[in-house]
Amino acid sequence: MIRRLVLDVLKPHKPDVIELSEALSKLDGIEGINIIIYEIDQQVENAKVIIVGNGIDFENIKKKIEEMGATIHSVDEVAAGKIIVEEVKTPQDRFARM
Amino acid sequence: MTPIARRYFIKNGFDGSMTILGIIVGSWIVGVTKPEIIVTAGLGACLAMGVSGLFGAFMTEKAERKRHLKTLEAAMLTDLRNSIHNKASEFVSVYAAFIDGASPVLTGVIALIPFILTLTGTFVIWDAYVVSFTLILATLFSLGLYLGRIAKENIWLYGVQTVAAGILIVAIVLLLGAI
Repeated sequence: MIRRLVLDVLKPHKPDVIELSEALSKLDGIEGINIIIYEIDQQVENAKVIIVGNGIDFENIKKKIEEMGATIHSVDEVAAGKIIVEEVKTPQDRFARM
Repeated sequence: MTPIARRYFIKNGFDGSMTILGIIVGSWIVGVTKPEIIVTAGLGACLAMGVSGLFGAFMTEKAERKRHLKTLEAAMLTDLRNSIHNKASEFVSVYAAFIDGASPVLTGVIALIPFILTLTGTFVIWDAYVVSFTLILATLFSLGLYLGRIAKENIWLYGVQTVAAGILIVAIVLLLGAI
């Protein structure tokens, strides 16, 4: 059971992040969405999409994102199971988040 | 109404009124007394403008939208055939075509109403000329007011400009008739 997904998404300027977040938030099993645009080009923009919920269906998310004209570049983080396990900092991970 | 539909509606609505104005003033100069001639010629012109607008706008919008979609596909490096962009492109082409085809028919038929009523005996032909001319100027004035509202400028000035264009057509046709 996926509880949190962090996606790197490439999208056209239209539909905008408001429309994209509303469309994604209506899907089953999703409780919250956060979308941050971190790079803008002439035709497209890159967004970090954070999805939290109880039983996120990745295929449904992918289908909706593609329907909105966007594509998933990468799945950057997944948290699944009964609880969300946060990333832990170890001496080996200089960039780990606490 | 979207900006594209607005443009098509006003531009072709203007065309519809002007075309029928030309037909009516020309008919008045040569002294046409049979309303069926004006109605038939007017409806024929309306049909031609409607079909021309329908196909012209559909093909033009379709080509423009396809071009835009291909540019977006190149930027996204993906196929957008199943996306809302493709569906929106198809919808806008049909929507624009409908507005472009319907607007000249609408304004043209408004101008022809007095002559259609003459066929039923409600109007005398010479009254129909006056009423139709007044209706055309009122339509042109309304289109001008609408343009002024879109531009958020003096609506009356826009109204006067569109009416002046109609009067110019009348003056030219009258001059040609006098030659």
